[in-house]
Formats: sequence, structure tokens, C-alpha cells
Amino acid sequence: MTQILLDMLVTGLPLVPVFLGIYTVFRLRADFDLTVEGSFVLGGAVCALTLVHGWPSWLALLAGTAGAAAAGGVTALIHLLLRVPVLLAGLVMSIGLFSVNLHVLDTPTLSLGTVGTLFSGFGSLSGRQADLATSGVMAGVVAAVLVAFGLFLRTELGLALRATGVNARMARSQGVNDRRLTVLALVLANGLAGLGASLAVQYQGYADVNMGGGTFVAGVGAVLLGELFVRPSGSKLVRIVGCVLVGTLAYRLVLVTALRVGLPAGDLRGVTALTLLVAIAAERYLGALGGLTRMLARNARSATTPARQEAA
Amino acid sequence: MLRLADIDLIYNAGRVDEVVALRNLSVTFERGQFVTVVGTNGAGKSSLIQTISGAARPTRGRIHLDDRDVTRLPDHRRAGWIARVFDDPRAGTAPELSIEDNLALAMARGRSRGLRFAVTARRRAVMREHVAGLGLGLENRLADRVGLLSAGQRQSLTMVMAALSAPSVLLLDEYLAALDPETTATVLALTTELVRELGATTVMITHNMDHALALGDRLLVMSRGRVIADYDGTEKSEMTVSGLIDRITGAGDALSDRSALIEQGARPRPRPGSARRRSHRTGSDWSGARGAIRSPDGSRR
Repeated sequence: MTQILLDMLVTGLPLVPVFLGIYTVFRLRADFDLTVEGSFVLGGAVCALTLVHGWPSWLALLAGTAGAAAAGGVTALIHLLLRVPVLLAGLVMSIGLFSVNLHVLDTPTLSLGTVGTLFSGFGSLSGRQADLATSGVMAGVVAAVLVAFGLFLRTELGLALRATGVNARMARSQGVNDRRLTVLALVLANGLAGLGASLAVQYQGYADVNMGGGTFVAGVGAVLLGELFVRPSGSKLVRIVGCVLVGTLAYRLVLVTALRVGLPAGDLRGVTALTLLVAIAAERYLGALGGLTRMLARNARSATTPARQEAA
Repeated sequence: MLRLADIDLIYNAGRVDEVVALRNLSVTFERGQFVTVVGTNGAGKSSLIQTISGAARPTRGRIHLDDRDVTRLPDHRRAGWIARVFDDPRAGTAPELSIEDNLALAMARGRSRGLRFAVTARRRAVMREHVAGLGLGLENRLADRVGLLSAGQRQSLTMVMAALSAPSVLLLDEYLAALDPETTATVLALTTELVRELGATTVMITHNMDHALALGDRLLVMSRGRVIADYDGTEKSEMTVSGLIDRITGAGDALSDRSALIEQGARPRPRPGSARRRSHRTGSDWSGARGAIRSPDGSRR
């Protein structure tokens, strides 16, 4: 059990920034950006390449972030200059980036070998302790990202970003330049994907040109799962970051458990798709059930309070 | 002063589905003037608002606000000077966001948005003060989602948001249309108070002839993308509802159902000329409802 939770943390925590980026476009902007399938790999590839060239691990992390963010910028440019929907621009990018990534890596799989990563100091520890230390470092990075993102959403710029997704016409009439915010959202979302990919690459010790497949669907599934538990809304910022954190970890828990139960790795995408479906179904049909349990809890509470008062 | 000179607003110019929304429109609004605008559907009232706000860029002509030429500025860059209240109560606010977030969005209007916190204790105090003036108790619900408010409350909030950055032009686009009579009276009282307080040039579109005559100090009647009548305060005060309706229908336009209901029995006499033109229009019209409003009979040229 402990091992399942540790597996969940070390494989799930790097995905939290990635899915936070997906949340940014999918929920805050109410749009779909498929660039992430390619920019995730690009971020990991740039990180791996710079590491192999002897860059320090922190710098490689930032390089991976910047590389993926640039991909988001290109998507935004395609969207604005050619006036195609973000969905189409991202789809084109995700296909094109495959070739770019292959050129960056120069091989389908680039192993980091013995170069120093964020986690290479833990090699001497036993398996479980190394996992603990690894997830500690990851948790630190992820916590910093979540706090920074939550604070950003509270700023005037972050508020404008949230408003454009809900009511773009109103945002414009309040002086918000929504074209600029589209660029910002896409750069930010893909940068976050690159950051997560860089963390994952440094942990697993290699970058693979196929590691981004299904990221988008997984992210949407995780967001929907998180929304089941946390119920975020436009102005509840703690809930927004909480939703992404809980959703990502819940999603990884499902996958890790599936692996532990003995499913072959090839079935994982099927499990991801099922998770997404279950999350959607639960949202549709268990919404009423959730309301019912909450109501019962409230009744139970109000029923006990007068009793206690009488006792007093 | 707001000056529109030789404005054409034409959609799909040169194509078979060309729509002329405004045609050679020139009008000047003095600073602080409160102007009501009436006209049938398709007369160009909303196009006028769109053009002033910057949501639509005119095909020809210039727009000056005081000494600035704002013709080429998009709506979000004019927002610091020009505030707009939409006809749909849902359009002017972000329902998912809290009341204070909506207000904070309006407070930053006309400034560049940076990494300052949008809602601070000081700003919240300002918000409370502004919202308390509504008498709706919203000052105690700043963290509530705007989606929980009624149409009247949302439209009142939009008015407060419009006034927050002290605009020099206030555009009211049939903003009372979705409200019940009682709420209409409340929001209207709020409007006149705000307009007086702000001293902003105000352009109010309405289908309600009583409002058009009772409010403001100038009245424009529009038809087919032009201003066909322009009454100043004294002329306006001598005008009656039925006289105004005669003026509108005299241009050959059919009144919309909404205005016809509001006129309360003061039914205009059918004119042989307009009846003929109307039947001609339906006869030659194959492009649907929009064509029926903007007649393709060439008489407007």
C-alpha cells in the first residue's frame, strides 16, 4: 500500500504542473489546446539534451520549460495570424512537433546515463527512502508552482485571464485585450507542461519521443476527477489549484493500482480513457448523489447541535 | 465631445448578402449630453452603439472623442473612456466570478493590467461603498458568484461597474428590456442619478417611447442607418408618444411588436405608402428576416 502511494507521488507529482496548464486552457479559457501532446515531449527533450550537454539540473528544468512555452507561443501565433481555432492550431502543432522532437533528441530515446539530475543524490539510498526523497523534492517544486499560480490568478492579469474564459465580450468592454491573454494562456499552459516533463525526464533518466501521447486526455480526465472532489469555480482559487492536485494524484492512483494489480503497461491508455469516462459519468449522474450526501451531513450537524445545547 | 463624421458601417460589402447598418451618419454629442435614441429594429441603433464602443469598425468615416481620433482603436482600448451596458443582463458581468472580482475587473479599466493584486482591502472598501448605494445588500455579498443574482441586480451591478472608472461616455443599449416594470423603475432611477453624478455623455437606446421622451435632453430617431429626426430638449418636451410613433412609421418602417405594445393603444394609422412598400418588400425578399428589415428596394439610396 505504501509503495502504491509512493509510486503515485513520484509519477503523479511531475504531472501536476502539466495538468495545471491543461486546466488553464480547458477550464479558465474554455478552450482546447492539443499542443500539450507535443510540447510535453519538447520540454522533456530540451531538458534531456541540455542535461547531456552538462547543464546543471535546475537550469535544464528551466530550459525545458522555456522550450515548451515557445511551442505554446507558436500555437498562439497560428491561432491569431491564420485565424484558425486554438483546437486546430494545437492539433497541427502536436503533429509537427513530433518531427521537431525527433530532431532535438536525434534518437527516439535519449538516455541521460550518469549525468547529474535533481534526484541523482538519492542513488545511495534504499528504494523506499529514495522514493521518499524524490517525492519530497518534487513536492517542493510542485508546491512552489501551485502557490505561484494561485497568486498569479489573484492579480489583475490573472483576473483578466479568468474573465476572458467566462465572458470574452464583457472582458473586452472592460478593457481587457483578449488576444494578448490568449498568447499568455497558451505560453503559460505549455510552459507548465514543459516543467512537468522536465521533472519526469530527470526522474526516469531518459526522454522518449512518444512520452507525450495521451497527455491531453489524461489531463482532462484528471481535471474532471478533481472537480468531482473539490468543486472549483472562477473565483475560488484555492479550489482551482486543489482540484488539479487532487485530480492528478487520483488519476495516477488509478493507473498505479492497475499496474500493481498486474495489468500490462499497454492497457494503461485504456484505463486512462475509462477513468475519463467514469469521471464524466460520475459528474452527470452522481452530482445529485453528492448533493444528497452533503444535505444529509448538514441535517446531521443541525440535528446534533440543539441536542448539545440542551445538554449544556 | 463625441463626434461621428460620415460614418458608413457595411457588412459583407460588395457581396450579395451585403448589409448596410449605418449610411453616411454624422452626429455630434456635446459633453455631458443625455441622448435617447429610438427607431425600429434594424434602424441602426445598436450599430451606432457598436461603432462608438469600438466593437465594430466603420467602413468609412471618423470618430473623435474630444480631441482624439479613436476610429482605429479596438473596443478594449476605448474602454477607459467609454463604458457600455448591454441589453442582455448576462452579457455585462462574468457569472462564474464573484461580485468583487467583477468589480475589480471594472476598476482596472483604462489602465494596463499588471501583477498587482486585483482585490485588496482598500479596493474592497471602495467597492462596498459603491455597491451599498444600490440598496440591494450586495455590499455584504461581495464573495458571492454573480450568477446567483437576479437580472435586475446584475444590471444594477453592471451600472456600478460602468461608473467605477468615471467614463466620459456611457452607452446604454436597451439595457432595461429584460427587466420587470418595478426593477426597471429602480434601475432607471439609479441611471439618472449616475448620469448626473458622472457628467458623462450618455447615449441610451430604448424601445420605450415614454422613456425616450421623459429622459435626457435630446432625442434621435433613426431609420435604415440614418438619423431622420433630431429633437433638442424643448422640442422633445412638446412631443407626444403618438407623435413620435407617427414620426417613426412615417419613414416607412414597421414598429416592432415591443414598441407597439408599449404605445398602449395609440395605434398609428396605416399609411397607403408604407403599406405598399412593406408588401413590396416581402414580395421581393428571399433572404429571410434580415432582408425584411433592411429593404432592398433601393429607396434608401
